[in-house]
Amino acid sequence: MTQPRLGVPDLGIGVGLRVPHYRHILSQRPAVDFFEIISENFMVEGGKPIYHLEQVLERYPLIQHGVSLSIGGPEAPDPSYLARLKQLVRKVKPAWLSDHFCWCGVPGAHLHDLLPLPYSWEAVERVAERARRVQDYLEVPFALENTSSYMAYTSSEMTEWQFISEIAERADIGLMFDVNNVYVSAYNHGFDAHEFIRSVPHERIVQIHLAGHTNLGKYIIDTHRGHVIDEVWDLYRETIRLSGPVSTLIEWDDEIPEWAVLAAEAEKARAARNEALGLAAAHPTSKPADAHPAEPRGTSHGGRHGGPRELAAREDSSLGAAIGE
Amino acid sequence: MENNEPSRQPSSLSELQHWVVRHLQQLRSLPRDPVVSLEAADRLTGNERVEPVEQIEIYREQFWLRHTSSLVEDFPGVGGILGQQDWERLVESYLQAFAPSSWTLRELGRRFPDHVARYPDLPHRQLCCDMARLEWAFIELFDAADCPPLDLNQLATLPPDVLETGQIVLNPALRLLEVSYPVADLRMQLLESRRNGHEDPGVQIPDPLAQQLVLYRGSDRRLYHRPMSPEAFSLLSALDRRLSLVAACEHALQAWPEHAERLQQNVAGWFQAWARRGWIVDVVPGPATHAGATGS
Repeated sequence: MTQPRLGVPDLGIGVGLRVPHYRHILSQRPAVDFFEIISENFMVEGGKPIYHLEQVLERYPLIQHGVSLSIGGPEAPDPSYLARLKQLVRKVKPAWLSDHFCWCGVPGAHLHDLLPLPYSWEAVERVAERARRVQDYLEVPFALENTSSYMAYTSSEMTEWQFISEIAERADIGLMFDVNNVYVSAYNHGFDAHEFIRSVPHERIVQIHLAGHTNLGKYIIDTHRGHVIDEVWDLYRETIRLSGPVSTLIEWDDEIPEWAVLAAEAEKARAARNEALGLAAAHPTSKPADAHPAEPRGTSHGGRHGGPRELAAREDSSLGAAIGE
Repeated sequence: MENNEPSRQPSSLSELQHWVVRHLQQLRSLPRDPVVSLEAADRLTGNERVEPVEQIEIYREQFWLRHTSSLVEDFPGVGGILGQQDWERLVESYLQAFAPSSWTLRELGRRFPDHVARYPDLPHRQLCCDMARLEWAFIELFDAADCPPLDLNQLATLPPDVLETGQIVLNPALRLLEVSYPVADLRMQLLESRRNGHEDPGVQIPDPLAQQLVLYRGSDRRLYHRPMSPEAFSLLSALDRRLSLVAACEHALQAWPEHAERLQQNVAGWFQAWARRGWIVDVVPGPATHAGATGS
């Protein structure tokens, strides 16, 4: 049994729960360590979303990942949003919950995007204070994710890794560390991805995201389309060597493949994680004090192009006609 | 971790955010605007491959792509009727008139039916209005609250007068809709055509046909539409307005005196069928609204 990080267990290797796979998951019950849901897709009253959620919840550990908290917006997160999120937390009982270091709009306009913040002290204070309050309110370990970004502000006063580290420390929250986002933003802004990875507080990483992206030459868009590229696998192994075993999730949200392809990608993550942990054991100087052996597998149970792919999406509303009376 | 002292300019962050949001909602490409380019150069860094104004342009394009895609998904019937060009004009005007304001994209189309009704020079206006109302109703039904079916055993224990004077509770996943065109059938045809790989199926505009529809979510959680006779629809509408069964029958009789005999013959069977279908989920003792009180 691994020791929890910030009270958060290592769940192993998971995948994002997406509509095209529901039938396979519920009928075949494939071996998956855990699923991650997009919270907003299930913050509804009933119908198919709640039915499917309850079915999956009976069989698998679930964690929640949000896209609409807007923790860095001009106003504090919407209390009604938080109340509904807490309702879902009480139903799902996730080991932790995450959202993003971002903002989504201003009063009266919610743009459904993960907009980057300037890396300023004003933003640090704003986000850290709110993150602490959100964690207290939701009564579940809370983490924020580094986003992919396509613009940078002249008003930034520090690097992105300093920014997220400062907030995580001040708010005493976890890091949802998206390795693909590190790669994407490093390409888009010309910083060193390895320095980013080396510089964050590894003991605060409670989960890792891996995904594919779309390289348009001038910049990369975080489409969550396609396989994780080799450079990102390398960054992932480096992260694991520094952090120890951390729950890792494959996100695939555009041109979603058949289950077998997604499952194979998850197994590739498992192999990479095991390989990195083996390397860590062989090179103790690169191993942090809180690194733990990997949990045996299977212990738990036996946008669109141009947008952040994890944006909330609805299920298909199958229609039918009926005979009149 | 560097230990820099905070250097704050009051409201500089919020001011920057309002600037970003204002420009992301612009329909026009930002790099074409020299003023915005200058403002962007002051606020955004750019890099060796991407100019500052191009950086915010990436997000502007995403804003429009994301929200127009969401409306395409929500209102495929309206889009199918209008065709690409008119649809794009309609959607762009909608997003300019009503900026997305909810945390969930599910709410994006809430005001779309009203916008369709008021949008000038819209081809097939009444057909589009009916379709927009139908499609918004389906969105509401899709994730409306679940409700257990009517407990017939409990119903049998109720005093006889309760059924007549109590409040009949309809399923929250049920909507009543009067339309001037057979939009539900048309929508099914459009979706079927798309499923068969026809991206722009080229819709055959139907002749007007007044219909009273019950839209509901079945026990299999799929969405259905069912045309109703006018008197049955009138009765169900009255129950939806919280009238008692007796008051609702009186209302339907007043509305359709020529169908009085059919209504009296069928009402018991309808009630049973509606309960069996899950449309009626409860009968609550106590005085329901009287027909006169609703002004109906």
